[in-house]
Amino acid sequence: MSKSRPIYAPFKLDLAGKAHLIVTNQPEVPELEAALANIEIWTVQTIAPGVQAPIRDNTRAFRAVPELFTHLAHRLSRAATGLRLYAIGTESFIWDAHNIAMAAGLSATEIHLTQSGPLVRRVICTHCKTTIEDVPQNIVTCPGCGAALFVRDHFSRRLAGFMGVKVDAETPGQIPAAEVFVS
Amino acid sequence: MKMRIAKILTLSPSIAKFTLQPVSGALPVAAPGAHVIVEIPGPTRIWKNAYSLVSSPEDRGQYEIIVRRVEHSRGGSAWLHGHASAGDVLEVSAPQNLFPINRLAKKHLLLSAGIGLTPFLAYLHTLNVPFELHHLCKPEDEAAFRSLLPNAANITLHTSRNALDLNALLAAQKLGTHLYLCGPDNFMRVALATAQTLGWPDAKIHQESFGGATGGEAFTVHLQRSGLTLEVAPEMSLLETLEAAGLAAPCLCRGGACGECELPVLSGLPDHRDHVLTPERRAANASILTCVSRALSPELVLDF
Amino acid sequence: MDLNLKPAETFRGDFSVRNSDAAILRFPFPFHEDRYMYAVNIEPHMRGGPTAAYDAIFDLDEHYIGECEDRALTLLDDPLRCQVLPHMMDAEWDTLELLMESLALDYPAQFTLTKNDASWHWVNRPLGLDQHFTFGDPASLPCPPFEYITRQVQGDFTLQDQRENNLFMDGGMVTSQADWSLNFDLGMSFHEWHGPVPVAHETGVFDRALAYLLRLQLGRPVRRLNWTLTANPRLDTSPENYPIWGPDKAGITPENVGTKMCLRVELQTLTRLPRSNAILFGIRGYLIRLEELVRVKKWGRRLHRVLRDLHPDIAAYKGTLPYRHIIVDYLSAFDDGAVTSAGTSPDQDLL
Repeated sequence: MSKSRPIYAPFKLDLAGKAHLIVTNQPEVPELEAALANIEIWTVQTIAPGVQAPIRDNTRAFRAVPELFTHLAHRLSRAATGLRLYAIGTESFIWDAHNIAMAAGLSATEIHLTQSGPLVRRVICTHCKTTIEDVPQNIVTCPGCGAALFVRDHFSRRLAGFMGVKVDAETPGQIPAAEVFVS
Repeated sequence: MKMRIAKILTLSPSIAKFTLQPVSGALPVAAPGAHVIVEIPGPTRIWKNAYSLVSSPEDRGQYEIIVRRVEHSRGGSAWLHGHASAGDVLEVSAPQNLFPINRLAKKHLLLSAGIGLTPFLAYLHTLNVPFELHHLCKPEDEAAFRSLLPNAANITLHTSRNALDLNALLAAQKLGTHLYLCGPDNFMRVALATAQTLGWPDAKIHQESFGGATGGEAFTVHLQRSGLTLEVAPEMSLLETLEAAGLAAPCLCRGGACGECELPVLSGLPDHRDHVLTPERRAANASILTCVSRALSPELVLDF
Repeated sequence: MDLNLKPAETFRGDFSVRNSDAAILRFPFPFHEDRYMYAVNIEPHMRGGPTAAYDAIFDLDEHYIGECEDRALTLLDDPLRCQVLPHMMDAEWDTLELLMESLALDYPAQFTLTKNDASWHWVNRPLGLDQHFTFGDPASLPCPPFEYITRQVQGDFTLQDQRENNLFMDGGMVTSQADWSLNFDLGMSFHEWHGPVPVAHETGVFDRALAYLLRLQLGRPVRRLNWTLTANPRLDTSPENYPIWGPDKAGITPENVGTKMCLRVELQTLTRLPRSNAILFGIRGYLIRLEELVRVKKWGRRLHRVLRDLHPDIAAYKGTLPYRHIIVDYLSAFDDGAVTSAGTSPDQDLL
């Protein structure tokens, strides 16, 4: 397993922080030991347009991930040092949240990532730069250039995805059996 | 490299600015935050002291340093204040930078006290993102520091008359701000504790400590591989004792911050005064940073 | 230093590039003994070494024009081979200054640098460039400073930003790499970009290397060697173009292995930069066909023994496994069993 592959810790509040914002694209919301006044939880739920999205106590629901991310960037641009961000969900969701946070000025130690949900990967085709979402196994056909790609364990935080390289360059047409991701 | 003292400007009874020019050739460019090691020739020994460069990094014709005469110093600064004159030639190391600016910061918050202002004077030449400088000083030094600082809305001198509300200042900073601290140990401890209580992560706090070695009890050091036994005098550091014996002991910052001078300890109890070893490594007592640390036991045996 | 520049040869397509006798004798042969094991092998980068390849601060050779043209072709096809993150502009100017000053100093017949405060004048005679510009003003150059100067130097370069007790690869010009992607690795930390290397991360060798590099001093650059085997003297062996060069290996036969199979050596330098405090990593690659290399008797003997006895794990990582027996068989004809001297020098002045 490549050392570039991140290793995730279970969710836990970082008590050195003074305010906490949790964002997740999964239906389960983390259990919190205490109801602290300075914690907010943002979730994604199916809510039709025109229907008011619920804001209750310290919880807020968004219609879709892009809407959550828009609000996240806006919130972070006004936040004071001392905030900790927690992203819980699929791997590309949490790294997209991470990158929004870094652009807003948070450092890696102020961002805590926990992987949960389907084990699918974002893959970037090295040859034509196409991004392929939600890939469940380690061989995928690139919709951009048609190459059969092997999904390496090499992960780029900047691109928030895994490297895909043509699997049969040396043995044209011989494509090995795909293996489902177990992590 | 050999450098000549071109000018000495007295800023206050205890603070002087020295302008150094190369005896020959152009000087290396140095990043803001860099320091040089100056060899100061005393009557009975040579001191090697680190000083931040305060001149503009692009000035290849001269370096400027500011020296505070330390009351109970081991002598180097006293010699520079009392005995150095224009025309004297000193041996000066190439600049090294252990206190660089963080390139991702959206804003730099600079906090200094006393002579800790010096690295920030170099920063002021080159900073091109928003920054704020707050400098704490004693009333008798205020005029001297004011003469070194430009008049600007984001630069504030604090004395007892206009005390700094550190808590309010740190609590109001937005996410991309990085904090830089430089000054005496007390000041650093308080500032660091205040920031951490407010939730500042270590990754955004940058410190340059000017503590250095402050002497202690004499002790004996046996050098296993060199076969030498040396006495470390109360006012000499272990590193200086090794150097005085003609040994090429490794070192870089001479302030206990970088780890370059680390040597293996074979027996004895080190008195760890550095900023590098983790609590576990300190407890293991298998290493010592010779530039600042001393001994708790009467003898140390080093693998050197 | 003398530079006998050849007109441009190709490092793709018909692979017209050939090493002259002088180029063969100055090759930075990497094996100092008859076996190979991973080692730290970092030493101070000072002028002089076992061959003339170590004489200059940044070495140029007879292939200069051809390599610059190959780089230009690669960049035309894929501009993402040269990228620098926005916060590294100081490091870009540091690199431009370092490379211009070094080339002008070591090869004064080919390069001239004149400075008048911030008004600089750079002349590159082999490439026909005559450029006035303002140091510090990117608009005064036809392209950003790092790209501008690295287009005129042999070898790849990366820029490491030092922060948070770590190094981050925040820029690079990478057109002759041994199978890694700048676009993918840009922004990675030291351990992340070394992720794919199957050396035991567990032994802590990367921890020690990082701690060492964090204390790299201004004015004290260091260097080390790395090696691989490449089918055809191809500079662009990038993951991006793997579909193009991947099939090269399958074409190796006992008849063509001497011509086609190349030893590829990287002379890597690490230099602390003054204004940015960043580290410039230079990866200067040299390619030599096996049939050229064996003309140096000692090297032919030694390379045979090294590859014959190479640990299988290392052989697998170096990508040589499927063809190792063809290569070893070819080289065995040049190994008479004679004793070879320690060190990497050729031990002969003529071929």
